Amino acid sequence: MIRLENITTEDFNDLSFRIQEGSVHKIITNSDYENKRLLNVILGLERPEHGRVFLFDKEVYSLSEEELNRIFVRTGTVLKDGGLISNLKVWENIVLPVWYHSGKKPTDVEEKAVQRLRDAGMDISHLEEMMGELPGPLPVHEKRLLGFVRSALMDPDLMIYDSVFEGLSPEMSERFIKLTEKFHSEKTGRTSVYITPDEQSVKGIKEDGILRL
Amino acid sequence: MISALKIGRSIIKAFGYLTGYYNLLCYFIKNISLLGRAPIRSVLYKQLYFTGIEALSKVAAIGILIGIVIITQVINIAGANAVLIGKILIWTVVRELGPLLAAIIIIARSGTAISSELGSMKVNNEADSLRIMGIDPVDYLLVPRIAGITISVFILTFYFQITAVAGGLAFTSVFKGLPFLQNIKGIFSALGLFEVVVSLAKSLVFGLLISTVSCYQGFSVEASITEIPQAATRAVMQSLFLVFIFDGIITLISFA
Repeated sequence: MIRLENITTEDFNDLSFRIQEGSVHKIITNSDYENKRLLNVILGLERPEHGRVFLFDKEVYSLSEEELNRIFVRTGTVLKDGGLISNLKVWENIVLPVWYHSGKKPTDVEEKAVQRLRDAGMDISHLEEMMGELPGPLPVHEKRLLGFVRSALMDPDLMIYDSVFEGLSPEMSERFIKLTEKFHSEKTGRTSVYITPDEQSVKGIKEDGILRL
Repeated sequence: MISALKIGRSIIKAFGYLTGYYNLLCYFIKNISLLGRAPIRSVLYKQLYFTGIEALSKVAAIGILIGIVIITQVINIAGANAVLIGKILIWTVVRELGPLLAAIIIIARSGTAISSELGSMKVNNEADSLRIMGIDPVDYLLVPRIAGITISVFILTFYFQITAVAGGLAFTSVFKGLPFLQNIKGIFSALGLFEVVVSLAKSLVFGLLISTVSCYQGFSVEASITEIPQAATRAVMQSLFLVFIFDGIITLISFA
């Protein structure tokens, strides 16, 4: 599913690893900066000085824009800051990729999106209030949850979580972890990768493999 | 020696910007069909609202004031001559001031807003967020903005001209006692299709220039928040500069 071969950048020297389809993996980095660099390298945003990156058995840095976009449609990434678009309302943020790629109307996925958010412990009146607002003032854990729901609606084969449990209260963290584990088990062959410099924050996740950089 | 180096660097920089604007404009023209996609169209509608509809009242106010000023000056110099008033209004408002002032209003209102907005999206990694959702940020953020601003400049120019001419004539009818219908006849006798076509062509060119420059400058911000005001300043100054240059070129070609 993910394969890095001899990756060399400022931070990594000859880094190689492979993550099998359908598995749950943790990657423990040494710092936030290294975390971001690794994520960027995997997602084709930052070409390494040396080495090759494969996603879904395709070499990321040799793909055309269109081919890479097709890979991204199958990949959900939940970023540490939520990765929400600041000038779109919360609701528009959640439905943007589904609307853009599948052509489904935003109302078609409303029920699914609301269910996911309720599973995450959000009450309906808060949701109603939040949906028409811009995401800027929201607390970071809500931004991450919204980022998760946005990715989940695309039903991806690969989910990458970028330090999403860091700084959360134990209850919040537990609920969010359960949510990601449930999501992982919903589709056969789905791969989940948790990348973080804070090993403690992903302690509660049952993994198939752990990689410490 | 140092100043020669500085001039050389400035020329290379300017050439780089012009190449960037040209490439972005070509990309826009090549991918204009993207506006058929609902999510991109929704960005276009928002841009039309912010740049076009929200500016209507300001454009109308400035248009009426300009119309009043021009007609008052004409009456002071040449007396209440309906044909002359018509001709001067057409020469100034339709041929020159309409497209130029509408463009300047858009540069001041939306050029800065767009370059700052795009710049802050770049600093906050929102372009990368779009990228990893499989959405090309240029397609989603720039194409509808260029279309929205261009259409807005086109419509606002037309609106400015109507309010300037009608407002000016209405003012002179009420306060100077000139017959409104006689002045309208003067306008129509001086107005030809050619003037209208050139004026609207100017507004289209200005719209494309302003939107391309503003989007390019905003999107060229990399990682630092201090780059945002610099990009906004460059967007305004370069848009103004290019609008005046192209205004001169089109006027020379059309009316010389």
